[in-house]
Amino acid sequence: MSLLNVGARALLANQVALQTAGHNIANVNTAGYSRQSVVLQTVQGQFTGGGYIGKGVDVQTILRNQSELLTRQATAASAVDAGDTVRMDRLRQLQEVFSGGPSGIGASINDMMNALSDVVGSPTDLTARSVALTRMDETATRMRDASQRLDEIAYTAAEQLKVSMNAINSLATNIAGVNEQIARAKGNGQPANDLLDRRDQLIRELNQHIQTSQVAADDGTVSVFVAGSQPLVLGNKAAVLSIEDPSDFGAGSGKKVLNFQQPGSATKVELNESMLGGGQVAGLLRFQNNDLAEGRNLLGRMAVAISESMNTQNRLGLTLAGQPGGNLFAPISLGNASASTANTSGATMGLQVADPTKLQASSYEIAFTGANAGSVTRQSDNKVFSFTSIAGLQTIMADGGLAITDGSPPPSAPFSGAAANDRFLVNPLVGAAALFESLLYSPTDLAAANPVNAAMGPTNGGTLQLANLTATGQPSGLVLPPATGVVLTFAGSPATFTLTGNTGAPVDASTTPPTPIGGPPYAFTSGKPITIDGWQITLQGAPKTGDTVTVGNATDPQYGDWYKRNTGNASALMGLRDVPMFDGAKLSDGFASAMAQIGTRTQSAQFAAELSSQIATNLERDRTAISGVNLDEEAARLIQFQQAYQASAKMIQIAQNIFDTLIQGLGR
Amino acid sequence: MSNSLYRVSTANQYDNALRNIGQRQTSLSNLQENLTSGKRVVRSSDDPVGAAQAERALTRLSRIQTEQRALETQRNAIAQAESAMGEAVGLIQNARELIVNAGNGTLTSNDRATIANQLQGLREQLSEVANRKDTNGVPLLGALGSAMAPFLGPLGASPDYQFSGLAGQYSSTGVSIPNTLDGDSAFMFQPQRDGVYNASMSAIPNGRQLTTDAVKPTDLALVTGDSYTITFSAVGPGATAGTSSATYEITNTTLGGPPTTVVVPDYPSNKPVNIAVTGIPGLSLNITGTPAVGDTVTLQPSASVFSAMDSVIKDVRSAPNSNAAIQAVGQALANLDAGLERMHNMRGYAGELLNRADRITGDQEKRSIQLEGDRSRAEDLDMIQGISDFQNQQVGYEAALKSYAMVQKLSLFNFIG
Repeated sequence: MSLLNVGARALLANQVALQTAGHNIANVNTAGYSRQSVVLQTVQGQFTGGGYIGKGVDVQTILRNQSELLTRQATAASAVDAGDTVRMDRLRQLQEVFSGGPSGIGASINDMMNALSDVVGSPTDLTARSVALTRMDETATRMRDASQRLDEIAYTAAEQLKVSMNAINSLATNIAGVNEQIARAKGNGQPANDLLDRRDQLIRELNQHIQTSQVAADDGTVSVFVAGSQPLVLGNKAAVLSIEDPSDFGAGSGKKVLNFQQPGSATKVELNESMLGGGQVAGLLRFQNNDLAEGRNLLGRMAVAISESMNTQNRLGLTLAGQPGGNLFAPISLGNASASTANTSGATMGLQVADPTKLQASSYEIAFTGANAGSVTRQSDNKVFSFTSIAGLQTIMADGGLAITDGSPPPSAPFSGAAANDRFLVNPLVGAAALFESLLYSPTDLAAANPVNAAMGPTNGGTLQLANLTATGQPSGLVLPPATGVVLTFAGSPATFTLTGNTGAPVDASTTPPTPIGGPPYAFTSGKPITIDGWQITLQGAPKTGDTVTVGNATDPQYGDWYKRNTGNASALMGLRDVPMFDGAKLSDGFASAMAQIGTRTQSAQFAAELSSQIATNLERDRTAISGVNLDEEAARLIQFQQAYQASAKMIQIAQNIFDTLIQGLGR
Repeated sequence: MSNSLYRVSTANQYDNALRNIGQRQTSLSNLQENLTSGKRVVRSSDDPVGAAQAERALTRLSRIQTEQRALETQRNAIAQAESAMGEAVGLIQNARELIVNAGNGTLTSNDRATIANQLQGLREQLSEVANRKDTNGVPLLGALGSAMAPFLGPLGASPDYQFSGLAGQYSSTGVSIPNTLDGDSAFMFQPQRDGVYNASMSAIPNGRQLTTDAVKPTDLALVTGDSYTITFSAVGPGATAGTSSATYEITNTTLGGPPTTVVVPDYPSNKPVNIAVTGIPGLSLNITGTPAVGDTVTLQPSASVFSAMDSVIKDVRSAPNSNAAIQAVGQALANLDAGLERMHNMRGYAGELLNRADRITGDQEKRSIQLEGDRSRAEDLDMIQGISDFQNQQVGYEAALKSYAMVQKLSLFNFIG
C-alpha cells in the first residue's frame, strides 16, 4: 500500500507545483506580483530493520520569491524618481514663460527702450512718442501675461498636490486595512503571499506620491513613516496628510506646507519640506516653494525695477506742455511684510523701494530677538545678517534696495521696532509683475525734454563740447538753476572750474555713495560726469581760462519754447538700459540672466530626473530579477513537473499492476 | 533557487525594452526638432549659458540696428546742415564779388543802388539758409537748443543780431553724431573772440579821400566790445612848411568819459597821410587820406556775418560818392572774410562729422557680424553634426525596434507541444 501512497503524494505534490507554475504564468503581467515556487520536502522515512524506507514527497510551503532589501531600495528610488520627474515637468512649463528670442519678454523690454531712440531723433514727431508709449504698454501687458501664466502653473501644481493628498490618504487607509488582514492570516502559520504582494504594491504606489520608510512588526504588520519619523500608518490605523498655508505667515508667504494629523488628534504638525525626500508631493512642494518663487521674484523684480526707474526719470523731465512729467507706469505698491501669527507686538512693517537698482530676487525673513535687534535671513541663499538697531536693519534692507516703514499710508513713518521673538516675512516682489501697468497714453505727456539746458560761453576759446546733460535727481533731488543759471567758469592748466548759482557742492555720482569733488576750484576731467544739484553734466574737450558753461532752467521765459525740441530726458530714459540693475547686469541684459537662471534650474532638474530615473530602473530590474516571472523558466518548470506528474501516475499504475498480479495469484 | 544574475523578469524585460525604445524615440524627435529649427539650443535648459549668450547677442544686435537708424537721421541732418553751410559760403562769395564791383570808382549812385539791391537778395537768402530746418522741423544750426529760427535780427538795438539759442556743440559718441551744428559759432561774431569791427566814415566831400583799412585785433584779451569814435579835432599847418599836423580824439561811446587826444606827427601836405591808430584797447587801424576837422570814424563791433552784410548794403546804397563806397567795401570784404573763415571751419567740422558717421557705420557693421557670429555659435546647430547625429540615432532606433520584435518572438512555449 505504501507504494500507492508514495505515488499519490507525488502526484499531488507535482500537481501543486504545476498549479503554482500556472499561477506564475497567469500573473506574469500583474504589477507587484512576486513569483511563487513550491518547496518540496521528503516525508520522513519509516524505520525498519533494513533501514529507513522513503515515504515520498510532501509540499512544505509555497515560497514567495522576493528580497526585502531590494524591494525597499527600488521603492525609495522610484519615489525619488517620481519627485524629480514631476519637478522637471513643472520647471519645463516655467521655462516656457522665460523663453528668449525675438518674441520673448526680453525682446519686448529692449524694443521698448529702443523705441525711445526715435523720440530722441525726432523730438517733434508725435508718432515716435506714440510708438514709444505703445511699446511700454506692450511690455507691461507681456509682464502681466507672464505673471498670469505663473499663476496658472501654480494653480496646476496646487491641483496636482490636492490629487496626491487624496491618493496618499486613501492608500494609507488601504495599507492599514491590508495590515489587519495580514495580522489575522498570520495565525494560519503559512505566509499570505498574495496579501503581502498587495501591501508591497500599495506601499510602492504610495511612494510615487511621498517617500516613506517602513518598519515591520512581529504581528506581520508594517508601519509606514513619512518625513523620517511621522507614522502615516501604524498597524491598522492611518493618519491624514493635508496641504495648507504655513501657520506662521499664512497665504501671504506664497508657500505651501504639508501638514500631518494623527488619527484621533486635532493637532496638525507641519512637516519640514527638506525631510520629505522623494515623491511627487515633495517635488511639487519644492517647485512651488523654491522654483516658482524664484521665477515670480525674478519677474517681479524686473517689473518693479523697470517701472520705478522709468517713472523717476520721467518725473524729472518736461512734457511738451512744459510741465514736469508724471508716472509712465502705475507705481507698484510693495505692500506690507507678513507678520507671523505668533507675533506679540502687533507692529506692522511696510515696504518701499529705496533703490530699484539694488533689488534682490529674494524674500527675507526678519526675526527679532529684542525690540530693535535680531537677524535677517535672505532666503535665496540663506545668508544671515544680524542687526542691533533699527538703523542697522534699514542698512541691511537698503542693500536689497528696500526701505521699511511703519506700514501707514504715505507719507509713512520709518519702522520703529517690534518685540522679541516677532518674525516678519518680506516678499514684496512675488506678486509685483501682475501690477505692472502703463499709465500714459497721450504722446505729449512723455517727458522727453530736459528740465535744464546748457550753453557754452559765447567767447569760449577752448574746445569744450557738451557730451551729456541729464537730470538725475541724485544725490538729493533736483534743484533747478536760478534765472542767471549755474555757471561753470574754467581756469588754469590742468583745468579747474568754479561755480556760481549752485545750491549744493558738486559730487562724483559714479561712486556709492557719491563723493564730493574736492575744491573749489574743482578739478575738471574731460568726459567725466559732474553732478550738481540733481543734474549731471558731461563736458568733453579742453577749456581755456575764462571759458564758461551756463546751465539754465529750461522753463525760464528767456529760453522760450526751446525745450520742445530737446530730448535730453528721453535720452536719459533710454540710457537706463545701460544702468546696472539686476545683480549688476544691465537693464537690457536683465532678462537674459533671468532666463539663464531658470534655464539652469530646469537643466539641473532634468539631469536629476534622468539620473534618478536610471537608478530607479536599475533597482527595479534587480528587484524583478528575483521576484519577477520569467515565462521560459515557467515553461521549463511545466515540462519538469509534467514529467514528474506522469512518472508519479506511472508509479500508481505499477502499484495497481502489482496489486492485480497479487490478487490473480491468490485467485488460482 | 536560481541566481538572480542570470534571471530576468519577462514583464520587466518588456518594460525596459519599451523604455529604451521610448528614450531613443524621444532623442530622435529632439534631434529632429534641432534640425528643423536649425538651433542647438531650443530651450534655455538645453544650454543655459549658450541661451543667455544668444539672448544678449540678440539684444546687442537690435541695439545696433536702433543706433544705426538714429545715426542715419543724424547723418541726414548733418548732411543737410553741411549743404546749408556750403550754400551760405557760396552766397557770401557771390556777395563778395558784387561788393568788389561796388568799390569801382566809376560807378554812379544808381549803379551802387542796383548792386545794393542784389546784395539785399543774397542777404535774405543767407538768412533763409541759416535758419533752415531738418525734416523733423529742428533747426539745423540750432546748437544746444534754440528757437525755431535761431538767428534773430536785424534788431533796432545793438547788437543788431542775436543767436536765439544755446551756444555750443554736442559732442559725438562712439555710436552717434550730433544732429545740429553750432550756428552761433558759424555766423556770429564776438568782439572778444573775433575782434570784428565795422569802421564807418562820416561823409567826405567829393574830391577829398579819407578811408580806413580793416580793424585788426592786436590783442583779443584787451578787446572790450565797446563802440568808439575817432574824431579829427584839429588839422592845420605843421611845424615846417609843406607839412600838416592833425589831432584826433578817441571816444569810447559805450562807456562815455573824456576822449583821449592823439597828435599825429607832422606829415607832408601834398600827399595822403597814413595814420596808424593804436589808442583803442586791443585794436588797431590805419586811416589813410586827407583828414579835415570834424571827420569822424565810427567803430562798432559787428555782431554777425548778417550784420556785416547789412552794413555794406546800407553803406553802399547810401554812399554819396565813391569814397564812402570804397570805405564800405573795404570794411565789408574784411569782415565777410572773417565770417567766411568761421563758416569754413564749421563746414569742415560738418564734413568731419559725416566721415565719422561713415566710420561708425563701418564699425557697427563689423560688430553686427561679430555678434551674429556669437549668437550663431551660442545657439545654432552645426548642421553636419546634426545630420550625422540624427542618422546615428536613426540606426540605433531601427536596431532597437528590430531586436525587440525578434526577442519577443522567442519563447520556450513555441517549442512545447
